[in-house]
Amino acid sequence: MRNLLEFLTKYNYWFVFLLLEIISFVLLFRFNSYQGSVWFSSANAVTGQIYAWNADVESFFSLIKVNEQLTMRNVRLENQVNKLSKSLADLTHDTTVVERNELALLNQYKLIPAKVISNSLDKVDNYITIDKGIEDGVKSEMGVACGNGVVGIVYMASEHYSLVIPILNLKSNISCSIKGRRYFGYLHWSGGRSDEAYLSDIPRHAFFKKGDEIETSGYSAVFPSGILVGKVTQIFNSSDGLTYRLRISLSTDFGNLRDVCVIKDASSSERIQLLKVAQDSLKVGKQN
Amino acid sequence: MTINLFKRALFFVILCLAQVLVLNHIHILNCATPLLYVYFVILFPRDVKRWGILLWCFFMGLVMDTFSNTPGVASASMTFAALIQPSILTLFLHEDSPDDLKPSFKTIGVAPFIRFAVIIVVTYNLVFFSLESFNFFNWIQLLECVGGSTVLTILLIFAIESIRKK
Repeated sequence: MRNLLEFLTKYNYWFVFLLLEIISFVLLFRFNSYQGSVWFSSANAVTGQIYAWNADVESFFSLIKVNEQLTMRNVRLENQVNKLSKSLADLTHDTTVVERNELALLNQYKLIPAKVISNSLDKVDNYITIDKGIEDGVKSEMGVACGNGVVGIVYMASEHYSLVIPILNLKSNISCSIKGRRYFGYLHWSGGRSDEAYLSDIPRHAFFKKGDEIETSGYSAVFPSGILVGKVTQIFNSSDGLTYRLRISLSTDFGNLRDVCVIKDASSSERIQLLKVAQDSLKVGKQN
Repeated sequence: MTINLFKRALFFVILCLAQVLVLNHIHILNCATPLLYVYFVILFPRDVKRWGILLWCFFMGLVMDTFSNTPGVASASMTFAALIQPSILTLFLHEDSPDDLKPSFKTIGVAPFIRFAVIIVVTYNLVFFSLESFNFFNWIQLLECVGGSTVLTILLIFAIESIRKK
């Protein structure tokens, strides 16, 4: 007995070591399934606050570049709106139709402006932390976009901060379509460069060319249709030869991301509920 | 004793802030990031209890994980580095070294200290990047990351040690 006790006291650090390693591995493997794990991410109150201070300082120095980008984008959009509203007025002989449509679209979606307070590009699973949380109306599964295009999807939200899965994460999976041609596939990232992603499952009979713009399809309940994602730069065959796989150069500059918007879709909860009901009824059908 | 504890806590906070706010943003060639917080393991004196080193380093890893969203990766590798630190340190000591020796250029010499630091940093980086790339295995990238980060970390530690000497 005394020998045993002596042994234990002499090698106590081995037990401490094992215990700590077990805790670490539990954290490592349960991060995705365990809801409370938001406390061990950069969206918790303390880390969030420190990152927010840091982001305040940094954003001050990048204001000029952001301004330039926004102005460019504004000019482009204004041109587009002018052209479209002109052609629409020509066709319908009604000058108020554009305003009415716009109001109807904006009613459905609510935008929550947020600031990026931490961001990474070099990992396999990158995450973005933003400074809006449950109290500001952010919930998990909401879409996040910036002035230049899609950013990602909210993964976990704490009181004042939330963790976003950007396109640059192996878990990310966003339904997208080719602008003007309507064929859709899903967007995913496979590591490596932070300005490229891949669009898979485009059918073989689809017709498109390099340089076509990619936008969100609106089929998932997360993003409304028509948010810019990027441009096609290269076309590959998928490994099974049944579909095309497109390389996309992303329009969002993830290395220089400051201001984003969380998209709150009023109708999405209804859609999700409908999907759940459909899945449940399918399950019941199978059991019978 | 209390002063030592306070000093270590202060060092802990400074290292954390430097790593999180500055060094984590450095990615040379998309892989090499200086991981200066390993310096924390290297500096533990000989007379600190082994379970104490383990606990301190585990918490350092946990804080790093929380900030960079890599749950468990840094804490597991820091704990491992803390386990081997005392055994490796004894390899570089003479018989007449004092019991409360704190590893630095002055106490064990420049070359042995660098060798000691390299062993710890390489081991740490190997464990860290292997765990991080668990589901995304790519030998060449793994070795690049380990090599690049080790070089940067050692350079930083060398620079800081040289300043401290004076």
